[in-house]
Amino acid sequence: MLVRFDFPRMFDDLLEDASLSDFMPVTGRFPAIDVAEHENEFVAIAEMPGVKKEDLKITFENDVLTLKGERKPYEIPQDARILQNEMRVREFRRSIQLPSDVDAKNISAELKDGVLRIVMPKAERARARQIEIR
Amino acid sequence: MGTNGNNALERRRSDALVKHRESAETIVSPVGDIYETSDAFVVKLDMPGATKDSISLKVEPGYISVRASVGLYHAEQANILVNEIVRKSYFREFNLGQGINHNDVQASFEDGVLTINLPKTEGSKAKEIQIKS
Repeated sequence: MLVRFDFPRMFDDLLEDASLSDFMPVTGRFPAIDVAEHENEFVAIAEMPGVKKEDLKITFENDVLTLKGERKPYEIPQDARILQNEMRVREFRRSIQLPSDVDAKNISAELKDGVLRIVMPKAERARARQIEIR
Repeated sequence: MGTNGNNALERRRSDALVKHRESAETIVSPVGDIYETSDAFVVKLDMPGATKDSISLKVEPGYISVRASVGLYHAEQANILVNEIVRKSYFREFNLGQGINHNDVQASFEDGVLTINLPKTEGSKAKEIQIKS
């Protein structure tokens, strides 16, 4: 039996667990992620309000998509009095395993209105083809 | 707020819920921060997936409500492999105390965060008192 040790992913899990008490709002993991498979691509969606493009790093390695970033505190006047504070997330890191047929070179990402959308095209060999009958 | 005010609030809330039952979404109350400065109250709400145009902000004396729809993230025929995001629309309301100039409320939407600025009326701002003697 082949046992595959995947150290980066093990650490991801640790980080996620650690962050549950420290950073997570009651609503669950941050960011919440969806992944959908389309005919020619996979699309990952992550909701990350308050995160700026420059504070987010996306990597794709060994079929694992990793989102690492920071939600920086917004500016607040010095004399302000906090009446309610529910926004808690600061740093985050999440990893998602994808099927092994992503064309890693052509992944694109867009962050808009607090929603990250990552399009991961399928490698040519993994695309469904219509076979012409001669 | 008197009894009438509370009834009106209840009515608005139930209208919103009835309207909502017709769709498959969940109503989510967006998490938020509130802080007070010398001349305003500022409310910030996390509303990822809403857009500037999908947000409806209603302000009346003593009351403010925010509502927004979120478009679908995936095409109908897509095969969902991971699903953590709830299909939702947003709704949250606040009762405002006196001393807010509700005619001059301003809002902006950036990075999925709605910021509402509720200015205080002149009479309710903190004043520094000069000591005469």
